Order: sequence, then C-alpha cells, then structure tokens
Amino acid sequence: MSSLPSQAEARLAPRAAPRAFQRALQPWMRAIVGVGGVLVFLVVWQIVGSQDLIRSDLISYPTEVLRSLYAMVASGELWANLSVTLQEFVLGFFPAIVLGVALGLAFALSRRLLYLFDPLFAALYTAPMIAFVPVLVVWFGVGLVSKAVMVFLSAFIPIVINTRTGVEEVPEAPIRALKAFGASRWQIIAKGLLPGALPAIMAGLRLAVGRSIVSLVAAEMYVSVRGIGRLVQVYSTSDRAAEIFVLVLVISSLGFLGVVLIRRIEAYVAPWSAAR
Amino acid sequence: MSQLALDRLHLAYENQATGASFLALSEVSFKVERGEFVTIVGPSGCGKSTLLMLIAALLKPTSGALSLNDRPISQPGSDRALVFQDFALLPWRTVLANVELGLELKGVPKDKRREAARRYVQMVGLRAFENSFPHQLSGGMRQRVGIARALSVEPEVLLMDEPFGALDAQIRQVMASELLRIWERDRKTILFVTHDIDEAVYLADRIIVMSASPGRIVKEIKVDFPRPRELAIRNTPEFTLYRKQIWDLLEEQIRNSGSWEQGDVEPAVAS
Amino acid sequence: MSKIHIDDETLRPAPRRSNDRVEEIGLGVLGVVLLVGGWEYAAYAGWLNPVIVSSPSAIAQAFARQWQSGDLMKDLGISLAEFAIGFSLSLVVGLALGVAMGMSRWVEYAADPFIWFLYASPLIAFYPLIIVWLGFGSTTVIALTFLLTFVTIAVNTMAGVRSVDPQLIRAVRAFGGSRLDVVAKVVLPASVPLVLAGVRIGLGRALIGVILGEMFSSNGGLGYHISFYGAHLKTADLFVPLTTVVVIGVVMTRICAVFERRFLAWRN
Ligand SMILES: Nc1ncnc2c1ncn2[C@@H]1O[C@H](COP(=O)(O)OP(=O)(O)OP(=O)(O)O)[C@@H](O)[C@H]1O
Ligand SMILES: [Mg+2]
Repeated sequence: MSSLPSQAEARLAPRAAPRAFQRALQPWMRAIVGVGGVLVFLVVWQIVGSQDLIRSDLISYPTEVLRSLYAMVASGELWANLSVTLQEFVLGFFPAIVLGVALGLAFALSRRLLYLFDPLFAALYTAPMIAFVPVLVVWFGVGLVSKAVMVFLSAFIPIVINTRTGVEEVPEAPIRALKAFGASRWQIIAKGLLPGALPAIMAGLRLAVGRSIVSLVAAEMYVSVRGIGRLVQVYSTSDRAAEIFVLVLVISSLGFLGVVLIRRIEAYVAPWSAAR
Repeated sequence: MSQLALDRLHLAYENQATGASFLALSEVSFKVERGEFVTIVGPSGCGKSTLLMLIAALLKPTSGALSLNDRPISQPGSDRALVFQDFALLPWRTVLANVELGLELKGVPKDKRREAARRYVQMVGLRAFENSFPHQLSGGMRQRVGIARALSVEPEVLLMDEPFGALDAQIRQVMASELLRIWERDRKTILFVTHDIDEAVYLADRIIVMSASPGRIVKEIKVDFPRPRELAIRNTPEFTLYRKQIWDLLEEQIRNSGSWEQGDVEPAVAS
Repeated sequence: MSKIHIDDETLRPAPRRSNDRVEEIGLGVLGVVLLVGGWEYAAYAGWLNPVIVSSPSAIAQAFARQWQSGDLMKDLGISLAEFAIGFSLSLVVGLALGVAMGMSRWVEYAADPFIWFLYASPLIAFYPLIIVWLGFGSTTVIALTFLLTFVTIAVNTMAGVRSVDPQLIRAVRAFGGSRLDVVAKVVLPASVPLVLAGVRIGLGRALIGVILGEMFSSNGGLGYHISFYGAHLKTADLFVPLTTVVVIGVVMTRICAVFERRFLAWRN
C-alpha cells in the first residue's frame, strides 16, 4: 500500500465525557502509553536476555545490541557494506524514476500501447519480485549489476502504474481551462497532466522505495560480495543475534529515511497536495 | 457588422460507452454587436454552459456555424476568454500563477505577465492571497481568480458562466456594479450567463431567454436603461416590468418541461 | 511510441470505451506473443547465450519434465499449504487486532509503535533470527509469512473501523438502535472496503513471505526450487516455478477483484 492510513479521529461511539484531569492528559495519552509500552518491552527484553533466562545468543538484549552497533560502526564494517548497498540502490532507482514516469505517461496517453503491455505489467505488479532474484543473478552476475537491476525492476513497475493512474485521474476542469486559453497538446501535458499527476507519482515513489529495499536486501542475501544483506547472511550462519538486530535496525531506518525524504520532496514540489 | 454570429447551432452530446446521444441545444441563432453586454437566462440544464463552451470552441457544434468578426470559430484562442461556472482553476498553481496562465500560453515573457497578473489579482481584491492555493480559498474567492484570469488576456469577447454564482447576495451586487464599471471603461463584448433575473436586467443591453432542454431561444429582450446605471434602478417600475416579463417566460418554460413536477431539476429562478 | 492521444471531447487521455474489449484482448495477446516470440527467435538466432538466458521452448520442455515427474505438483502443494496456514493465521490475528485497535484507544496507543515498526520495516531482515529460533523448514516459512501479512490486515482493519462516519452511528442511535445494532448495521458493513483492501494486499505479502521463506530456509516448495535451479544455473528449470508463482499472483488478484466488486457494489 502506498501510504499509511490516516489517523482519523472519528470515534466509534459517543463516550462518557472524560473527567477534567483526564481531559488535560488527553493529548499526551498516545505518547505516554506508546512510549510506556516500548519501555516495558525493552526492559523485559533486557532482563530476560542479560540474565540468560532464554538463550541469550538467540535473542540477545538491548544493551548488547547497542554495543554491537558501536563496534560495527567503529570497525568501519557497517559503512563499507552500507555504501555498496546504497550505490546499488541509487544505480537502480533513478533510472526507474525517469523511465517509469515516461512510460506511465505514455500508457495514459495511448490506449493501444497500454493494451499491448497491460497483461505483462499487471503480472509483474502482483508477482513477488524477490522470486526473480536467482534468474537476475544468473543473467547479470553476483556483483553490483544484478542488484541494481533488481532495484530497477522493483521500483519501475509501481512507478509506471502510479503515474498512469495519476495522469488518468487528473480532474477535467483544469484541463478544460488550459485548452480554453489555447494550450497545445504538449502544453496540456507539461502544465496540466504531469503536475496534476505529481501527488500520485510521489505516492508511487514511496511504494517503490519500500519494495526495492526489500528486493535489494533479499538479492544481497541470496548471493553477493558486499552489502548489508551479505552481512545478514554472514552473521546468521554464526548465530549472532545482536548483530542481526543491528542490521534489522539499519535496514528499517533506510526504508524509513527514504519515505521521509520523499515526503519532504513532495511537500516541496507538490505543496498543494499536502493539505488534501 | 456583428462581431459574433451564431447560425442555427445544434449540439448533441454523444455517450461514447453506450452510443446514446442527447440533444442539448437546438436551432440556436443570434448575433452580438461589438461592445454589447448580453445576458443569458434559462432553466437549469437548458444548455447555457454548453453554449458558452461552443463559442470558446471547447466543443464543436453538431451542425450550424459560429463566426467571430466574420471568420469561422474553429480553435480556442485568447480573443475569447471564458470564466468557468466551476472555476476550473489549476489546483497545483497559486492564485497568481493561475491568473498568469492565459498570458503564459500566449507566450508573454515571465516578468511582464507576472506584473499584469498582479494588477488583475489586485483588481479582484485578492492581493493578500496571491500565493495561496485554490483549495485554501472560499468558493467566491476562487470565482474571482477565474474572473481575473479571463480579464488578464484582454479578450475581445468575455464569456462569463454564472461568474457570481458562488457569491452571497450583497457581494454579488457590488461585483456586478464593479463589472459594469470595468466594462464601461473599455466596452469589451460580454456574454453573461446568470440565474439571477435582477442581475440579468441590471447588466444587460439585451437579455436572451432560453427554453428548457433542449435549449432554444425563446425571446430576446432589449433593456433600455441609460448608462452608467445605478444600483437604485432596481427599484423603478420599469425594472419591475422587465423582471415580471422574464419571470413569466421562465416559469412557463419550467412548467412545460415538466421537470419540476418530476422533481429532478431545481427551478432555475429560485435565486 | 505512438502519437500522443488526447481526446478532443474530454481534452484528457483517451478514456476506455466499451467496444474496446476486443482490441484490448487482441493487443494484450499480441504483447505476450511478441515477447515470447522475440525471445525464442533471439535464442534461436544465437543472439543470446541459450544456457544462461534459456528460451521459451526450453522452458516449455522443462515444464513438461517437471509436470511428468510430479515435482511441480509437489512444490505447488507444499507452497500452497504453507500459504494457506500462514495467511489464515494472519487473517484471524490481523482482524482481531485491527478491530480491537479500532474500537479501543488503549489498545491502539499501546500497539501503535510496534505495529508501525513492523509495518514500515523490511521484515525479511528478521528471517535469520526466525531461522535461529525455529530452525529450517515449513515452520519458519509459515512464521515469516505470518509476520509479513498480519500487520497489513490489522492496520487496514483498524482504518476501516475508524472510517465509519460518526453521523451514521448517530443516525442509528437516534432511531433507538443499541450498541450492538451500531456494530452490526454500521461499523461492520462500512469497514468492509478497507478490510478487503487489507486482505488483498495481505495476500500479496503472504505470497512474498512464502517464496522468501522457501528460498532461504527450506528444502521444498516453489521458492526452494527457484533458488535451487538458480544456484545450479538451470535457467529453463528455474522459469517453471517462477512462472507458476507469477500466475498464482495474477489469479489471486483477479479473484480478489471479483470479490471486492461483489461486496462493494453499493459504493458504485
Ligand atoms: N458531457 C456531457 N455529456 C452528456 N450530457 C451533457 C454533458 N454536459 C452537459 N450535458 C447535458 O446537457 C444539458 C445542458 O447542460 P449545461 O451544462 O449546458 O446546462 P446549463 O444550462 O449550463 O445548466 P446550469 O444552469 O445548471 O449550469 C444538460 O441536460 C446536461 O445534462
Ligand atoms: Mg451551466
């Protein structure tokens, strides 16, 4: 799904009016209960893990995870692998944006072209991309290229599909205005269809970031020389739970940062859509 | 020589999915002189918007001919400017950028068109909102952006589709007299669609009354009040006569069409 | 690219027309034929290395081989069983959790950080831990499938329960309806669209979970053989389970679409 459902505050049924002190706390409740829950989780984990109540080599514990993070950063091991992963990501993702938007636009404008490719794209859109990892490795080798192609494919398809629906759903009124003031076909595209589709395109990018990071890590885990996924593989064969937690955090942060970054860009290039 | 001439226009909407067709305008002919202010009234759904879109060349007539200065109308162009009933602003542009649109498409250089747009934004009283996006404005403010956008290209013919429809009664009267003031300065030709009978009489040199769907022209009424006009003419006995005449014509149209009894169309004269 | 087509009537990209059906199917088939034919010809003409890239005819032979030996059916059975178990678990847990979060503020506040973490992070990174905990085999595959799927269903269910228009609830209460009436007549029907959307997305994620789990930590199933044939450079054999997975994805999405259309007729 492209974005998380909004936190609508529509309550189910009328509740009894909260008492005064409760009402004063209300805005903080979400934070208090949320942070409290996480803290309880961390403390229990710490005690169970550090006291070895369950085998700590399998579950580790928070302070050990932090120590491993520090060690992996200090030794340069993390960055050496992360930089490769980022490189593969960039090499696949940017071409996917350019070609994806162009093809999505073409699909929206030419019904024939759409019909020609629709079954293929629909199949690829619903298929789990990671299933293509082995064949890409066979075709493009164990190095950087097969990973970049994986990122490209995983990002390209949602971008094409979102661009296409975005262009198709640009409302008619502004397009009519452009035409009434004498816009040419290219002007209708440049000043009407593309800006109108921008929010949908950005939503496609968000979707694409998540999908392509998953594919990328899976591809690195399958076979690679360097990269975050490679590290996951290395530490899992030696049953190092703490290091694996570190990597889980790193990968999650990557996805999270990607989405935040795209939202930032979106607020900048499509400020009108943020409020809707 | 008339500036704008419509000759036996018919327009049928085709539904592409079902192949059905719906006759919206039938046998519409009239002429408009240069500098004339013509208002158009008619029951809701009778084809007023359709008529303006034909003149703007956003639609092609099924049969019949339109000409401007004796040349057939075939393309949209900046010699005509349309104020849309549904505003039709570009949601991704600010107020100022929306007003610039027409000039931009005419190829006017950036700083010149910006300056012109500022002037018209000021004229419609939206100076403080020039950097707002349409979704941040009220309906009435959006409509004024649409009016500024149309005025900015300085068209020969201004086509206005219920331009004051989203305004409340008082602002509406003020805007109407403001429009007259602008018009009296340079006497552009204006075709003005409205639901408001008083507004139609107050503004017009001539009123065109249309029938219920499919739209035909029922009557053309010349309005003889001298110009410039004061708002106070609305209280004169002559004005009341005009009002009554149009009211009766429209009421007859609505009754004949039967749509009021079927309950699927609002009476057009309610406002 | 063909000429840009902006429809003159609507001034927008050409809309689909009802009588297009034939053209749509015809061109769709043509697209597939062109791909398969072009690939076959390129392999035949020697432009591509047949061992590495393989060719449609080689894949067809591999398909016949795996079909006759029963390998394909066995893989399909394993994968579908893991899928069914993992998805059913997710459905039960996801729906229950989603309704609880939608109806109770406390549950939502407490579960929120965990849910969003699971929702936003690429969960596949957890797979080594799951292997460490549960060992190789079907249990791990099912656990991974569950982990990937239940969050999606829970989040959508919560959003669905929340999306109910409070005005409708007020209307039912105004006519003397009980709390139960509110749930039965308003909350449940109104949340169906989002719940179904969650189920549709969940099906896709469950398929990813099964394939992923099998690729890395099992010794049977479609995912396992995709990985196995890849490691042994048997490209033609690899494409048999791969194509099967793609087909499963398409069929599932189609079935879902039919269901959603049935249930959502009122939304036009
Ligand atoms: N794109 C379209 N396809 C089919 N029928 C249409 C279309 N646009 C308008 N119509 C029909 O044509 C008739 C005239 O429409 P039009 O919008 O011109 O009416 P109008 O006089 O402007 O109405 P109103 O006063 O409510 O604005 C209506 O009956 C409408 O249903
Ligand atoms: Mg209209």
